Amino acid sequence: MAELNIQISADPRLDMQKFATMAKVREEAIQATPAEEVNGTFAINENAKALHPDVMKLVIDEIIDRGAAEAKTYILKNADGGPLPYFRAGQYLSLKLPLDGSFVTRSYSLCLSPKEALNGKYAITIRTNPGGFVADRLLESLKAGDTVLSSGPQGFFYYEALRDKKQVIGLAGGSGITPFLSLASAICDGTEDFELTLLYGSRTEESILFRSELDAIAAACPKFKVIHVLSDEKKDGWESGFITAEMIRKYAPADGEYSVYLCGPEAMYRFLKPEIAKLKLPERLFRRKLIDVTKTPWECEDHPKDMRGKSFTVKVKQGPAECEIPASADEPVLVALERAGIKAPSRCRAGECGWCRSRLLEGTVFVPQENEMRRWADKHYGYIHPCCSFPTSDLVLEVPGEFF
Amino acid sequence: MPRYDIVVVGAGNAGMSAALQCQLAGMKTLLIEQHNLPGGAATSIVRGRFEIDPTLHELCDYGPADNPGDLRNLLDKYGVKLDFYECPECFRCISTYRDGTPMDVTMPAGIAAFIDKMESYVPGSREKMEQLFDLFQVVLDGIAYITASRGNPDPKILGTTYANMLKTGAYSTQEVFDALELPLKCQDILSTYWSYLGVDMEHLAFIHYAAMVHKYVSRGAYIPAHTSHQLSTAMVERFRELGGDVWFNCRAEEFLFNGDRCVGVKTNMGTVDCMYVLANINPDLIYGRMMPKELVPEREKKLSKARDRKLGGRMYTMYLCLDATPEELGIKDYTIFMPGTADSVAEYNNIMGGMKTNEFTIFVCNNLTNPEFSPPGTCVVSFTTFGSPVDWNDLKQEDYFRFKTEGAMKMLNTLKKKTGIDLTGHVEEIEICSPWTFARYLGVPEGAVYGYEARDWDGMMARMQMIGYDYPIKGLRPVGAAGPRSDGFTASMICGQLMAGSALMDLKKWKEEGGKA
Repeated sequence: MAELNIQISADPRLDMQKFATMAKVREEAIQATPAEEVNGTFAINENAKALHPDVMKLVIDEIIDRGAAEAKTYILKNADGGPLPYFRAGQYLSLKLPLDGSFVTRSYSLCLSPKEALNGKYAITIRTNPGGFVADRLLESLKAGDTVLSSGPQGFFYYEALRDKKQVIGLAGGSGITPFLSLASAICDGTEDFELTLLYGSRTEESILFRSELDAIAAACPKFKVIHVLSDEKKDGWESGFITAEMIRKYAPADGEYSVYLCGPEAMYRFLKPEIAKLKLPERLFRRKLIDVTKTPWECEDHPKDMRGKSFTVKVKQGPAECEIPASADEPVLVALERAGIKAPSRCRAGECGWCRSRLLEGTVFVPQENEMRRWADKHYGYIHPCCSFPTSDLVLEVPGEFF
Repeated sequence: MPRYDIVVVGAGNAGMSAALQCQLAGMKTLLIEQHNLPGGAATSIVRGRFEIDPTLHELCDYGPADNPGDLRNLLDKYGVKLDFYECPECFRCISTYRDGTPMDVTMPAGIAAFIDKMESYVPGSREKMEQLFDLFQVVLDGIAYITASRGNPDPKILGTTYANMLKTGAYSTQEVFDALELPLKCQDILSTYWSYLGVDMEHLAFIHYAAMVHKYVSRGAYIPAHTSHQLSTAMVERFRELGGDVWFNCRAEEFLFNGDRCVGVKTNMGTVDCMYVLANINPDLIYGRMMPKELVPEREKKLSKARDRKLGGRMYTMYLCLDATPEELGIKDYTIFMPGTADSVAEYNNIMGGMKTNEFTIFVCNNLTNPEFSPPGTCVVSFTTFGSPVDWNDLKQEDYFRFKTEGAMKMLNTLKKKTGIDLTGHVEEIEICSPWTFARYLGVPEGAVYGYEARDWDGMMARMQMIGYDYPIKGLRPVGAAGPRSDGFTASMICGQLMAGSALMDLKKWKEEGGKA
């Protein structure tokens, strides 16, 4: 190589020998240090772990029967004592439940202020769901003193000052009230700073969940208002029927932008979709808590023909373990895994969190469009979210492990 | 009990690369990853209708097909195929020169263009800049030679062919700039890249700086077409195709030893037997938590103590998905560096002082490299700074979300103040990741993705020269940003390849000496 035409060769400040001694200098620096046991604990990592545990063991401290609202609130404490991870009002827990030889997960919104977590207290509310697999069993079987396993607090249904408007119109239906109770509590105690006007749909006055709690917060806190909307009853001074665009406009700020938050059952989402569209809100102003994947996939427009009722086999690999299980075209692959007692990861059951992400080695699945939230590369390389993928052939699936 | 020749723990950039190298060499290899996604920092986040790349701004040393860099060559060798976009320029930097005057420069890729542009900002700098780039080239060639020699270069060849590397390699970047008598403003503009290595110009070895800057300028920067999660997934799927096994949500809890030799890994999915472990884990975690304390050599305890937890790159980031196009928002640059000052020593100290003194912000708009990065009519931008243990060590959970948002707002305001770009009223999705977040998902100490600072005596070349001395655990080698090649996607991948090569040689020797699985 030709000699470079630069000054450094003559510069007395730079000494070529120094390069040859780099290793020596380094070794000397190391040897000059006293040996100490290596400390593998770092405060930031411990903080992160405490805020986002793999799994929590919770004990039921108290059960509050909601009477005609046909629900129960479970007050939960840390089974090992002490505080529980802080959370953002509107987040949920994913319970990990052994039921009849299955391992199922169900998500329940935390329905109290995040401040309570610091006192080691969480609360969730379960409402009856006749015909469902989990809710009624839990309502019947869970007793004070029982322990349950749970994920840490999850989900994106929370207020974000950099995105949301100060004025928020909440639309709640049935047990979809739970995250709003948390948000309202957090506004009331100063954890959150925004104004929430809640349109809350119930069937009858008697079946309103958390009526007294909501009224108490509204009375104590001028930033929170609740308007009850009864679908099966007409009463003077009450809204009745279903929540419509017109009703939202009636309670929304007359001028300026506002955010709309929605949490409720599948039927409410279907009904409100065209109503929300009438408001012509930019997408950034509409937040909805994702709901479980549809129970009637065959009603989806692009569902493959003649698939309903079909049975398939899924060969499942999980680490070194392998097994074959039956699956139905009418249920998500995750349900087949759960029925077979496989501890497959899952949390949101709506396609959003991606925790169940699995590699589809062979076969095909149907994913409803509203639950299609996979990463580009996951779609491209054959990964699915089993919580919202319905088998349309026999499958070979590789699922991740779990930490409980 | 499952048996593998080699278990690679951690599917970060280094781990994925090591796994591919081992599997290509015919080893039965298992790759385990504690998260349910590959890549570590090389991943993506889905929010609403957007997919965000949380870490990758610019891949170094990929290069065009007719001037391939090490990374392109490595991926070709592995058979990993995917499309990349070339980033439009090197960077824009808005800051203050050390003489107190304002800086606002935009530097293009390509050596000639870069030097031309520098001449326009610093008239009379051309000759010195040309010398500098000649020197960069020698350094780059020298490193390639030393890497190829696996830390045992021929001193004669070094002393002749790579003489100028020897003259400059052991000095800090600042010392070499001074020796070259590079104009101060040139130095300040060139110092922009220090943050990619996390060590200021007075403590960052010139050899390390030179290699990186030359690669960025000469070959340009690239990003995968569909976030770094695409790159990670492509690597993992290629590894599967070659016969490798991958277990996600599988966390190594402990390394198992037979005498003083690592022979397996205990995980939440059971115990795996193997002949060798390559661990994409910071050595402090391996020594401090994952192996018997009595097997940690005294010299390694000294090494850990000497580093004294000087970790680099505790990431603190914000991502905004916006409901307007870059054009509508007035965003014209892919990357804008906005340090408070071009004085990297002061800037480093301000960062370490916490958010009260930290003004450092890098702004990236992904759509300016990849127009299809997000749905039509939208764009995605990210803000990056570094966290300090001063802020994050003792922060209370109940203050966490508020504090995280305040820092993010500070970055948003920095952008507005320095460029006039106002993004409020356009945010459709937002995510903020703190050092806690990076600690959570990557497991790296303090959320520091750069490993130990490659500073002073512990610089990249000094580490390279001591590959045979560090981490002398039989059957176990760490790979990753804490390793000899320091941080960065490309550096980590090359580290993975390099250490896998060493592991394969170790295994061969061990077998020749009668070692049995």
